[in-house]
Amino acid sequence: MIILDQVLPYVMQIHQKMHLSRVFSVVWSHRRQAVVGLALLGLLALFAIGCGADTPQNTFDTKGEVAERQKDLFLIAMWPALAIMIAILGGTVLILIRFRRRSENDIPKQTHGNTTLELAWTIAPAILLFGLGIPMVAALWEIGRDPSPDAFQVNVEGQRFLWKFEYPELLDESGDPVVTFSEVNVPAGREVALHLTSIDVIHSFWVPKLAGKLDAIPGRTQTMWLRADEPGSFSGQCAEFCGLNHADMRLVMHALPVEDFEAWVDEVTGGGSSASAAGVGGDSGG
Amino acid sequence: MAGVAQAGNPLGRALRDVRHMAEDRYSIWSWIATVDHKRIGIMYGITAFTFFLIGGVEALLLRIQLAQPNSTFLDPDQFNRLFTMHGTTMIFLVVMPLSAAFFNLVIPLMIGARDVAFPRLNSFSFWAFLAGGIFLNASFFIRGNIFEGDIGAPGAGWFGYAPLTSTEFSPGHGIDFWILGLLILGVASMAGGFNFIVTILNMRAPGMTLLRMPLFVWMTLVTSFLIIFAMPVITVALFELLFDRLYNANFFNASVGGSPLLWQHMFWLFGHPEVYILILPAMGIVSEILPTFSKKPLFGYPFVVFSGVAIGFMSWGVWVHHMYTTGLGTVANSAFGLSTILIGVPTGVKIFNWLATMWGGSISIKTPLLMCAGFVTMFTIGGLSGVLHTMVPSDFQQQDTYFVVAHFHYVLFGGSIFALFAGVYYWFPKFTGKLLGEGLGQLHFWLMLIGFNLTFFPMHISGLLGMPRRIYTYQEGFGFDTLNMMSTVGGFIIAASMLVFITNFISSLRNGEKSGRDPWDARTLEWSLPSPVPNYNFKEVPVVEARDAFWYTKYRENEEGVVVRIEGAAADDEEDDGEGGHGIHLPSPSYFPLIAAAGLPIIATGLIYDPALVAVGVATTMIGVFGWAIEPPTERR
Repeated sequence: MIILDQVLPYVMQIHQKMHLSRVFSVVWSHRRQAVVGLALLGLLALFAIGCGADTPQNTFDTKGEVAERQKDLFLIAMWPALAIMIAILGGTVLILIRFRRRSENDIPKQTHGNTTLELAWTIAPAILLFGLGIPMVAALWEIGRDPSPDAFQVNVEGQRFLWKFEYPELLDESGDPVVTFSEVNVPAGREVALHLTSIDVIHSFWVPKLAGKLDAIPGRTQTMWLRADEPGSFSGQCAEFCGLNHADMRLVMHALPVEDFEAWVDEVTGGGSSASAAGVGGDSGG
Repeated sequence: MAGVAQAGNPLGRALRDVRHMAEDRYSIWSWIATVDHKRIGIMYGITAFTFFLIGGVEALLLRIQLAQPNSTFLDPDQFNRLFTMHGTTMIFLVVMPLSAAFFNLVIPLMIGARDVAFPRLNSFSFWAFLAGGIFLNASFFIRGNIFEGDIGAPGAGWFGYAPLTSTEFSPGHGIDFWILGLLILGVASMAGGFNFIVTILNMRAPGMTLLRMPLFVWMTLVTSFLIIFAMPVITVALFELLFDRLYNANFFNASVGGSPLLWQHMFWLFGHPEVYILILPAMGIVSEILPTFSKKPLFGYPFVVFSGVAIGFMSWGVWVHHMYTTGLGTVANSAFGLSTILIGVPTGVKIFNWLATMWGGSISIKTPLLMCAGFVTMFTIGGLSGVLHTMVPSDFQQQDTYFVVAHFHYVLFGGSIFALFAGVYYWFPKFTGKLLGEGLGQLHFWLMLIGFNLTFFPMHISGLLGMPRRIYTYQEGFGFDTLNMMSTVGGFIIAASMLVFITNFISSLRNGEKSGRDPWDARTLEWSLPSPVPNYNFKEVPVVEARDAFWYTKYRENEEGVVVRIEGAAADDEEDDGEGGHGIHLPSPSYFPLIAAAGLPIIATGLIYDPALVAVGVATTMIGVFGWAIEPPTERR
């Protein structure tokens, strides 16, 4: 009550004779201003803490088409949500100030309700929410489509507590698919199809800067796609609790520029015959 | 049974002596054998608060571990077991039973009844809850010396996703304790659910039609229906898991054709109604306190009632929003995304009506009201971040991150816990005759509000920065460090606020200010009774003529529509000494519900360790049930 004790009497004095419309100006004056300003500064500081430092798994610092789409959708919902939050929080505080009990004998008018208001605040949020539903479903179908046929293929297998990546199009010298663990190389700028499964418990494959997650479930294989718009190494980790060392089940996805990627393919396939079969670099040919 | 009760028989004599002891109001036995809903409510409350402290200590240990990167305060195994127990405890042993405590304390008084419909079943509910809670926590000790770090306890999360819970990936008996503990707690909840449905539907005072029931009674009714429909679902799932573990049943074993996802469907088909089981009673409490402290009736009563009922129905159609990333496909995700959006509408209606209740009122800013204001604002934040989660594609990013942790703590702590504390401050005088200290109460509120926001608001951001849930540690260089330290500091501020509360509670019990019958100028029937409430509740069963029945015995509207106090009405003077209730029949105390409940953990222990114990447990429960059935009534009046 300390804060209110200091601030309230002052505010009360001023707007004792005022109507609610004047309350806003009071709130924005003097000590109130400091309080609100501090709160906003705190919020900004929080974001600064987040965004200023190195944040390799930042879902807002997107580097791929899917993550970008997801971030945009998030923001579409976040701004109205923040506005409503501020309105309701501020509204509650204002109501507490404006309608605080001044005298014990004060008995207010006994209003029981208002059907028009009820309908309004049922229908308006419904419209707003379904307004959010439209871009949501649109984005869902866009992201949920099958990967394009010329996407680079990777089979991902979750196992406690590391990721195994198998490249079905890249065969090594003995004719087996190339396999890597914990790090996965993909061509930058080209769509990648990931076929997820697990050999033990449920895991979830997640590289935040490139795309949201999809579970790797034993007994089934599910496919997601993503694309790194620019070369880089992107951090990710298992996002479904899988037991003892869940926190250590990390991965790095290297999106390589075309030359580097081809060089790596040549290295692991020992000459590149199978690489050409995989259509490396020829992604747009169809 | 007549033979046993005869005086010459030593066993009969012993039984009679024990029953005599239970008649003495000041003896501990009278608490153990009590069937009085008020005493059972108090025991529910104290037990659940004790578990709240245990769950809170678990949370603090987790927060210490996460305060800094690469911390080794806990090892991964300890961390996993502690967060599993933290979640399980807070949901099943804290918020649910704290709500049950208020059902017990308040519902019969609000509807003008002398007790619940089945007082001994009520006692059984409590003892089964206590048994389940102790059984669950006993798992801490099954691996050796807990003080040397050998923590037993389940370690697969409160959600227990298959196949991580199989014997292959979770050896030892932790998961078995978890399954059986939840099954016992389920029995307690089911019994309570049926009891309160029957009580509310059948035992209302004359004139109290459904649409005159206080909002808390309505929300209890909806919650009780949710309980009796949701608990069987989790029970089936738990039995299947138990069979998988004990008898190799393979319900969830993918390698032989079982389905890990089957568990998730059943768990969340229970789990989402469960969320509303946790929040609807809180909404009911707030809907009682806001009108009282604003001196205005609840705004839009029928809309608040029906939005609560609507939430109850709709809670069955949204469970897949816990499973967006399991790959159920775009059609399923779209459908459940839209149904989840829809459930935001009735929730919003409630918030607007609470604000409208305060609007134009004469608001007494005391601790119960502050707690409610905390509820409305914090729950709004939790609800809005819930709306963000319904955006399926962006939820692919937030699922299983700290953003979710922030969201549901805003709902369950910022929502339920704030409202439950509001209830404690509000009804404490009714059952003790004393007010909780206002100064310490407000200190408690502000500390809790600040600590809560410092703990959980930064989690939104650490989640968006890509910090997954349930990781025992993280590395430097991800931007998580400062945010996690803030959360940890906030956690300790919450802990400090609890110390303030406990101090306040104990000192107020001893030398609190006397409250009289009606310290808040309240609106519902319980405030027409002396404080503390005599054991028979109502000397005469009241006749209800309006919603807010008690208010209208104190106030009426004059010709100009202005509300005036009725002279001399419901004067806050006469102290009832509890002697006025002669001739009122009360149910007699009984030990048998306790005996019946005591058999359950014995059966559970037997299933894990030794089938012989199962027989002992079954026999104990059977003795309890049969004794209960044929116990003769005493002549107590």
